[in-house]
Amino acid sequence: MKITDAAVFPYPCGDTSVRRLALEAKTLGFDSLVAMDTPAGSFDGVEILSGIIVQDASIRDVIARVKRAKDSGSVVSVAARDNGFNRATIGLKGVHILRGIQTAEKTAFDHVTAKMAADNNVAIDLDLSVLISARGLARQRAIHRYRDVLIFERRFEFPVTLSSYARSYLDLRAVREITGLCSLISMDTSGVEKAFDAVGRVTTPRISAVRVVS
Amino acid sequence: MSPRPPTLRESRRYILVRVNPAGTTIDQKELYYAISDAVTSLWGDAVAGVIMQAVVAAENGHVIIRCLRGTEKELTLALSTVTACLDVRLALRIVAASGTIESLRDRIRTGKPVAEPASEIITGSAGTGGAEHGECVFAEKSFLIVHCNGQKVDVIEKGFKNAHRLFLTKSDLENS
Repeated sequence: MKITDAAVFPYPCGDTSVRRLALEAKTLGFDSLVAMDTPAGSFDGVEILSGIIVQDASIRDVIARVKRAKDSGSVVSVAARDNGFNRATIGLKGVHILRGIQTAEKTAFDHVTAKMAADNNVAIDLDLSVLISARGLARQRAIHRYRDVLIFERRFEFPVTLSSYARSYLDLRAVREITGLCSLISMDTSGVEKAFDAVGRVTTPRISAVRVVS
Repeated sequence: MSPRPPTLRESRRYILVRVNPAGTTIDQKELYYAISDAVTSLWGDAVAGVIMQAVVAAENGHVIIRCLRGTEKELTLALSTVTACLDVRLALRIVAASGTIESLRDRIRTGKPVAEPASEIITGSAGTGGAEHGECVFAEKSFLIVHCNGQKVDVIEKGFKNAHRLFLTKSDLENS
């Protein structure tokens, strides 16, 4: 099992270089990171996966950007919006993660979208930075929304990823701390382990159960 | 008021925490307020009243925090939500928990010593892009090295206006 943080923002988006993030992530117990707009590589035994986030774009733009990123080997994420947009996005081949579900409108993620995510092997991302740095109503809303997503996850078994959205190494948290934070949204240890491993599962193409031999 | 006999005292636990970034000046009182705010915000007044957190010592880049025995999990979870103290960004990394302050002090002493700010300065051309003593070049900008510990290098851009810290490694400086 590979323990992966599904979104970090190294320099110049943040104040920490990708090497330093890798160094700190290793001490905190991570095996790999998805670094946004950064070339893939490996530093100090920590694998860096290149990530792309498509946000504030129409579905046509999303299709174009996903097509462009198809052969780059990047982890492609799309920021969630309304329900129709999310369903259309999840149906696209090449989209790995749907992000920002806590900021999307209330009806943005329902049982139909959850079923589609499971069928298309698209992960739903849980942004931990809200649990860490937000206070009051913002955090309460995020907890409520994540609990709701996890109810669907138990029913439909779509992948769930965990992201720190770290723009600095100070925003990273240890694996044990993240497990504790996930207990706030009623996610048990096995669920957290599964979520840490989810990036690998969504980026690996599914092997068909039936192989046609001519 | 006379002190309670040992059998009537509440059992306490002490948590050792390392403060990042290295070299951050820790005001014990302000850190107490930051932790208290985090605990209250996460668990509410009722649980905060049970945890009874207190910052008992701050030394050598480490802080020792007291809580009631059995509430360590709640306190450590709240500590992971502390992101700043007096508008200074920081992270509290939990190192150990113990029943005595002395064992945690031993742990600080036996552990890796935390270098003081600018205690180890990268010099000369190796890793500094040929910049002068205590300075470096990264992304075509000049930086002052404020802290260096092993591979880790913390820098601040030269000039009065930008006092923002960047967190790099020696390899970053060698490759820039």
